[in-house]
Amino acid sequence: MATASTSDFLVLDGVAKSYGPVQAVHDVSVRVAQGEFLGLLGPSGCGKTTTLQMIAGFEAPSAGQILLEGRALAGIPASKRNIGLVFQSYALFPHMTVAENVAFGLEMRRVPKPERQARVARALDLVHLTHLADRFPRQMSGGQQQRVALARALVIEPRLLLLDEPLSNLDAKLREEMQVELREVQRRVGVTTILVTHDQQEAMALCDRVAVMQGGRIVQIDAPWRAYDAPADPFVADFLGRSNRLLAKLDGGAAEAAGHRFPLPAPLAALRGEVALAIRPERLRILPAGQPGLPGMVHSRVFLGGFWLVRVETPCGDMLVTVQNTGTPPAEEGAAVALDWDAHSLRRLEAVA
Amino acid sequence: MSASRFAPAALSAPAVLALGVALLLPLGGIALLSFQGFDFDKGIIPRWDLANYASLATDSLFLEALARTFRIAVIVTVICLAIGVPEAWIIHRMAPRWRGLMLLVVVGPLLVSVVVRTFGWMVLLGGNGLINQGLRALGVPGAPFRMMFTEFAIILGLVHVMVPLVVLAVWASLGRLDPALARAAESLGAGRLTAFRRVVLPNIMPGILAGALMVFCLSASAFATPAMLGGRRLKVVSSMTYTEFLNTLNWPLGAAIAVLLLLAILAVTLLWTRLVERRALRRLGVG
Ligand SMILES: Nc1ncnc2c1ncn2[C@@H]1O[C@H](COP(=O)(O)OP(=O)(O)O)[C@@H](O)[C@H]1O
Ligand SMILES: [Mg+2]
Repeated sequence: MATASTSDFLVLDGVAKSYGPVQAVHDVSVRVAQGEFLGLLGPSGCGKTTTLQMIAGFEAPSAGQILLEGRALAGIPASKRNIGLVFQSYALFPHMTVAENVAFGLEMRRVPKPERQARVARALDLVHLTHLADRFPRQMSGGQQQRVALARALVIEPRLLLLDEPLSNLDAKLREEMQVELREVQRRVGVTTILVTHDQQEAMALCDRVAVMQGGRIVQIDAPWRAYDAPADPFVADFLGRSNRLLAKLDGGAAEAAGHRFPLPAPLAALRGEVALAIRPERLRILPAGQPGLPGMVHSRVFLGGFWLVRVETPCGDMLVTVQNTGTPPAEEGAAVALDWDAHSLRRLEAVA
Repeated sequence: MSASRFAPAALSAPAVLALGVALLLPLGGIALLSFQGFDFDKGIIPRWDLANYASLATDSLFLEALARTFRIAVIVTVICLAIGVPEAWIIHRMAPRWRGLMLLVVVGPLLVSVVVRTFGWMVLLGGNGLINQGLRALGVPGAPFRMMFTEFAIILGLVHVMVPLVVLAVWASLGRLDPALARAAESLGAGRLTAFRRVVLPNIMPGILAGALMVFCLSASAFATPAMLGGRRLKVVSSMTYTEFLNTLNWPLGAAIAVLLLLAILAVTLLWTRLVERRALRRLGVG
C-alpha cells in the first residue's frame, strides 16, 4: 500500500468492539494527522479506554480496521506496534527505579548500554526528573510518577502516544500544571498523540481536535472552540461546558418565550413552531428589573474567583449566568432582574415535536 | 491513656490462651517426654537425659529418613512452584467467567480427604494399576513398572495435594497486582513471557515465597501420603514417629524424633524468612 499522506497518519475505519452482549464501541471512524493532538472525550463507560486498547493492540476490534501509516494493525501484537502508552494508574514497575523503568523499553529493543543511558538521561531531562533517577516509584508523588510514565512511553520514540486519563489522579492545581507541561512536551517531541479523558476542560486545554463520544459512538469531531461554539447535539452542548436551554415559539425572524420577544440570528430565521434553543452562561447579561429582557429573580450566586456563577429563576426555567468579577458583586439573591443576550449567541438544540 | 495501652493485650488474651492450651501444652508435653527413658518391660522410666537424642544421632535408619524427608519436601516444593505459579497466572489471565470455574477445578481437590485421594493414587500406581495396564496394552517395553512404595509415588501424591496451595497463595498476590503492569511491559516491546518474567514475577514474589514455605513445611511433616504410598520400608520422619508411638510403644524415642523434625522445620523456616523472603520484600518496599 502507498504511504499514507500525513493527514491520514492514523485511521480508524468503522471500528467496533463487543464483549458478548455488551457493545462497548460502535462504528468509530476517525482520521488523525501526523503530529496532531486528538482528544477522545466522553463520560465514563462510553468506550474511550476500549478504543485506546484496540489501537494499542490489547483488544481486537470485532469489526472495522485500524491503519497506522497506511498499514493495517490487525494481527500485530502490542509489543511490536511501537506505540507508547500512559495508563491511568501509571503502571510503573514497582520493583524498578525510575531510571530502570524508563530504560525498560530500550532494553527490550536491545539498545546498547551507553546509548540507552544517554537516551534515558534525555527523557528524564525532558520531564525534569533527572535528580530522581534512582528513586523507586513508591517514593514519589503522583505528579512525579505521572512524569516517569510519560518519559517511559516517550523514550522508545513511539509512532503514536496514547494517554488514558493521565491526569485524573492528580489534585486540581497539579493537574493544571501538568496540562501545560504535557502540551509543551508533546509540541517539542512532535509525536502524534491521543488523549482519553472525561474532563472537558482538560480536552479543550490540550487538544488540537476533540472527538466527543457517547454510548460507544463519536458524535462530533472538531476543534475544541468550534465544538464548544457549535455543538452538534444537546449532549455535546451539555458535556462541553454548561449550557442553558430555552424553549421558544418561533414565528419567522423573531421568537417569544414567557412573554418576552427577542430577535433570532439569520441561520434560525426560517424556523417556525416550538424550538429548543441553547445559550452559554457567559453570553447572558444581567440587567436591572424593568429593562427589556427575560424577567427573573436571582436564586443564588457563587463566587469562583475570576467570575461569579449566578442562577436566575425565570418563567422558562433556571438560567446559569457567569459574570466577570470586576470588583463589585452582581445582583443579590432574591433581587428581581432581567436577562439579555445578543441574537447571534443563540443556537438551535433540536426541534421539539 | 493507660487503659488503652493494655487494651490490645487484654483483647488478644483469649486467643493467646486458646493457642497456648491447644498448641503449647501438648508440644511441651512431648518435649518433656523426649528426655525420659524407656524399657520394654517397665515402660517409661522417669529420668532426665539426652540419651534418646544421642541414640538418634547415630541411628542410620533415622538419619536416612530425615534426609529422605527433606529431599522429598524440597523436590515437592520445586515441582509445585513450577506447576502452580504458571497455572495461577494463566487462570488469572482468563476471561472472568472461565476464571471462577477454573479456580474451582484447581481448589476442588482440597474438598476431598487426603486419604481418599491417596487411595486413588494407589489404584493408579499399583503393579496391576490403571497406569501399568495402559502401558502394557500399548506394548511399552519394561512394563509393568514398580511405582508403588517408591519416593516417586510419595512425591507424586504430595504434589497433587500441595499444588492448590501454591495456586491460592500466588492468586492472592496476583489479585493485588495492577493489571496494567503486564500491558505496560508489552507496550514497551516485551513479549508475553518476558513481561511475565521481568515484571509480573518479581511483584508476586511474596506470594510465591509464602506458598513455597507452606508447601515445604506441610510436605516435610506430612504423614498420610508418605505412609500410604511409601509403605513399611520407605519411612519419612513423621511415619517413623508414628511407628515408635504405636508399634514399638517407645514414646520417649518417638517424642525425640518429633522434636527433632519440628526443630529442623523451624530452622528452615527461619532461614527462609531471614534470607530469602526479606530480601525479596525489601526490593518491593514492603519489608
Ligand atoms: N473486558 C470487558 N468485558 C465486558 N465489558 C467491558 C469490558 N471492558 C469494557 N467493557 C464495557 O464497555 C463499555 C466501555 O468501557 P470503557 O471503554 O472502559 O469506557 P471508558 O473508558 O469510556 O470509561 C463499558 O460499558 C464497560 O462496562
Ligand atoms: Mg476508561
